[in-house]
Amino acid sequence: MACSSMVDAITLEIFKNLFGSVAEEMGVVLQRTGFSPNIKERLDFSCAVFDQKADMVAQAAHIPVHLGSMPLSVQSAVQDVPMEPGDVAILNDPYRGGTHLPDVTMVAPVFLGEPRPTFYVASRAHHADVGGSTPGSMPLSTSIFQEGLRIPPLKIMAKGKPVPDVLSMFLANVRTPEEREGDISAQLAACATGGKRLAEMTARYGLDELKSHAAALQDYSETLMRQCISRIPSGRYGFQDFMDDDGVTDEKIPIVVTITVEHDSATIDFSGTAAQVKGCVNAVLAITVSCVFYVFRCLAGENIPSNSGCMRPITVSAPLGTLVNALPPAAVAGGNVETSQRIVDVLLGALAKALPRQIPAASCGSMNNVSIGGYDCIRRRPFAYYETLAGGMGARPDKDGVSAVHSHMTNTMNTPVEVIENAYPLRVLCYNIRQDSGGSGVRRGGDGLIREYELLCDSSVSILSERRRYAPYGLDGGKDGRRGENHLFRNGEWKSLPSKANLDCRKGERLRIMTPGGGGYGR
Amino acid sequence: MYSLGVDTGGTFTDFVLSDGRRIRVYKIPSTPQNPAAAFLKGVRELCHPAAPLFVTHGSTVATNALLERKGARVALVTTAGFESVLEIGRQNRPSLYDFEVEKPPPLVSRENIFGVHERALYDGTILNEPEKREIEAIAEAIIARHCESVAICFLHSYANPKNERLVEELIERSMRERCGNSPLPISVSHRVLPEYREYERFSTTTVNAYVSPKMSVYLGSIEKDLPEGVRLRVMQSNGGSMSASAARKAAAQTILSGPAGGVIGAFEVARTAGFEKVITLDMGGTSTDVGLCDGSVSLRTRSTVAGCPIGIPVVDIHTVGAGGGSIAWLDSAGSLRVGPQSAGAEPGPVCYGQGRSLTVTDANLCLGRLCASRFLGGRITLDFDRANEHMLKFANDLGIPADMAAEGILRVANATMERAIRVISVERGHDPRNFSLVAFGGAGPMHACDLARALCIPRIVIPRNAGVLSAFGLLIADVSRDFSKTVLLRAEDTSIPQLDTLFSPLEEQALEELTREGFSREEIILERRLDARYVGQSYEVTIPAGGDFLSCFHSEHLRLYGHSNGAWPVEIVNVRLAAAGRVEKPQFSPVEETRDSFCSAVVGKSRMVFGDLKVDAPIYDRSELHGGNRFRGPALVVEMSATTVVTPEFEAGVDSYGNIIMTRSAGEFQ
Repeated sequence: MACSSMVDAITLEIFKNLFGSVAEEMGVVLQRTGFSPNIKERLDFSCAVFDQKADMVAQAAHIPVHLGSMPLSVQSAVQDVPMEPGDVAILNDPYRGGTHLPDVTMVAPVFLGEPRPTFYVASRAHHADVGGSTPGSMPLSTSIFQEGLRIPPLKIMAKGKPVPDVLSMFLANVRTPEEREGDISAQLAACATGGKRLAEMTARYGLDELKSHAAALQDYSETLMRQCISRIPSGRYGFQDFMDDDGVTDEKIPIVVTITVEHDSATIDFSGTAAQVKGCVNAVLAITVSCVFYVFRCLAGENIPSNSGCMRPITVSAPLGTLVNALPPAAVAGGNVETSQRIVDVLLGALAKALPRQIPAASCGSMNNVSIGGYDCIRRRPFAYYETLAGGMGARPDKDGVSAVHSHMTNTMNTPVEVIENAYPLRVLCYNIRQDSGGSGVRRGGDGLIREYELLCDSSVSILSERRRYAPYGLDGGKDGRRGENHLFRNGEWKSLPSKANLDCRKGERLRIMTPGGGGYGR
Repeated sequence: MYSLGVDTGGTFTDFVLSDGRRIRVYKIPSTPQNPAAAFLKGVRELCHPAAPLFVTHGSTVATNALLERKGARVALVTTAGFESVLEIGRQNRPSLYDFEVEKPPPLVSRENIFGVHERALYDGTILNEPEKREIEAIAEAIIARHCESVAICFLHSYANPKNERLVEELIERSMRERCGNSPLPISVSHRVLPEYREYERFSTTTVNAYVSPKMSVYLGSIEKDLPEGVRLRVMQSNGGSMSASAARKAAAQTILSGPAGGVIGAFEVARTAGFEKVITLDMGGTSTDVGLCDGSVSLRTRSTVAGCPIGIPVVDIHTVGAGGGSIAWLDSAGSLRVGPQSAGAEPGPVCYGQGRSLTVTDANLCLGRLCASRFLGGRITLDFDRANEHMLKFANDLGIPADMAAEGILRVANATMERAIRVISVERGHDPRNFSLVAFGGAGPMHACDLARALCIPRIVIPRNAGVLSAFGLLIADVSRDFSKTVLLRAEDTSIPQLDTLFSPLEEQALEELTREGFSREEIILERRLDARYVGQSYEVTIPAGGDFLSCFHSEHLRLYGHSNGAWPVEIVNVRLAAAGRVEKPQFSPVEETRDSFCSAVVGKSRMVFGDLKVDAPIYDRSELHGGNRFRGPALVVEMSATTVVTPEFEAGVDSYGNIIMTRSAGEFQ
């Protein structure tokens, strides 16, 4: 048992609860005070507590893709911005601690009577727009400069007062400045709540107690993770899968992984993965680390607290300048939403060789991003609709995959049909399970879904999707899930669309998205 | 006039009988296989010879049917192209890091879902009307498939229910032609929940179709054996009751009624004692329910039970899996955990004589916070030695003394409940320091002092008969009905006369229904409310529909969310009418407080442990304590249904209504 002198089984459990509740209360404040639907409805945000060394102590369970990437943001902020009491740093630059530009992170130091911060608290939220070439800042781009405003770590609060220059610079570069300002103050409120709670805990339990338990909690997660890894037979396990294309050229893009397990630690090596590409599907290292964290966290079970201890037994090695560790100025908008899912697929594919009958077949493998925008000729105002569509989950060794559900790195909710039709010039003609799209096998993959829209006004449509060429794999003899399909009804006939497309559409045309099914399991 | 509250729980069925001035309580073991048996037995034994006029029942029949997926075989008739709305849900999964995750099993199997070629639009326009022949074929299939209940759910029926009504009529007619006079019950979405967002509306409607037939059979079996003239009412999730005949058709309204009675009872007791701001703590065997009343009982309109969203208003309660029966265990990385597994009634805690896993109750017993010979009025004798033996072994594994292990179990359980109280207070914008804690349920009064201390709650109220407070809540619940309609109007352009036009049909319906339940116009209270939001938001704030509703919206938004903006456009999403028929409540008159000695109340001593402090503390028999009596902790107060622990930092007094009021001792305040 990993215990320091002040830590015992009882206080460990109590502090697990306490640190966890700090992160969760920060999340509640952010959700309550946030303004954009991304935060309030789709819950696309995360909050966490870090120790003096910028190691994560606790994180609230929100969005998996933020899980492993938050520590890199905090490390980057701590390194670049010397912080005093009342300061808060802001950043979104994927090349300096961020993920993709819409994810804006705030980091605040917590001073508890020591000359330097005892803790840091951080909040991250997916902002609905941070400028760039298209509304929503998720373009089919070819460089990061098209994706919006890049913010390196900067002070947005200094000694308790807002830094007006930074704020006005930011607001001048985004499409909906009032909404952004509201979301920024919500993130600041979340950080303030975290700092206040940690101060209350110090008053109640004492600083030494807090610090020793912050360390003990990481040891605790490390112990659980080492127990989990030691159940994997030592050895080398490799796997390769492909991205359909980058939306610019037609070339398939390999992602390769080799997992080396030695007793209770693991090395994850992405050598052999494609060089970074022209289109927007590059992932920065933070995303790749998040995917590794996600997969091992699933293996360790729901009970393991999310903190830096989980990652201590794991080394991630991703060559610079590749799809999974891109260098500037590569475009990265889609790395977060699409590439992350494929990284999970290759990790699981490799682990399936190490842990037969314990790993699910491939899930849908895409977030099926649909954006429709333009001028609403009925309500006489501009409109922008963005949504991700679920697909089928891969079959498990002992049960079928779930149908029409978000898997792995995302879990955002859908927009109800009645809400879409009330708010946008769209009519939904069909929203159903895509029957028999799950791969067959002893256990069937989950089915994808079908959504068909009729455009009631001229609109521009963009689609960012995957698994239209390379199907989600089955395991142990199970069949692959069916690939996704995108169709447009134009001039009286249905036409097939590629996985990534920008289109100008006319009133009366129809768009049909059929999302991939999950792979099957067993023959 | 006699009235009776009957609360069916997992282990016990509780009865509270009132003659208008005094109450009597009674408790008998539940009969889970046939809950009506315990109900009727209790009524016979308690109410002899005079039968009560009103019986209000808190039933878990509908809840259990949903939890255990043992409801009716439902046929779902819905808009073609949207047959999978229930299966897709909101497309998210219930747990994030879990390869074994499942969506909750559906209430309707795919082959019993029937698509109809019909369509209404968001503004109420009917694009397609259903064809008679298609509906008749569906009705035939429903019968051929031996369905027991029907749900009709069409898109945009909140805006125009014409197609739903037409199909309801056609199905009813064809079923009557085919099966004579016993057509299947039909739940129609625009009547169950006339609000937009199809998944939540379809789900609520389908849940109603799923559980109502079970409830109907159950209530029938009670009603036929009740003495003549007794009027049976059933508790709803919103904290009001409804007639049994209404409940037979609208059983979805009862699914979250279990903990609602406790909150209603606790609030009434606290208000009578002079406290309007309370946090309620109802700790039972397997879980703890926490609620908050800030001058009134808080409601919410978004809940999920057994994976099914239910969109009707319910009392806002947060439940955590920590109760007296929660099991303590040590995980593989050396952390002491409590729950969520529970020893239940079988085998029960170690001290009941059969169980082998230590529970919170065992820890309380080992530390002298329970009296072995006076548990449930002496009906069960707890085995102190057995609990101690197991505790020693457990402590040995931890490498610490037994007392420390027992205290550790309580501290971990308390941490879970403390977090629950923070969820319902701090996370909803309330400061617990401004509230009183009303603790009840069998185990709540044992943990109240520790929780109040941790959260700096200045005052604790332990009602009389704390273990059966939920049944008391049933007794005093008003008969209530909620009505709503989605309107989606710009608030700036909406005049008061326009609101009158929207509310008046709802009010007519409310008056008619409550008059039918026997209430005069004077006894009926109508409250108009609006769900509003800033244009573009997706969550609504509920506010009173007065003349100043706009400014009211901005200030409520500020209170809840920390910001508001008078310049932003506001949208009214739903109009809501809460209608209540006032029932007569027992009038307790305060007794004069006494300064007499209460030596006779001391019935023994308990060896209590609080950290390093080990003392022989007095045990008081609550029935011998009277208004005005005051004493300091440590002490134990026993009554038939609960045990109250007064820790050394607290001082207890009995008020003129018999409640125990505890505050921090003067020297203890900081």
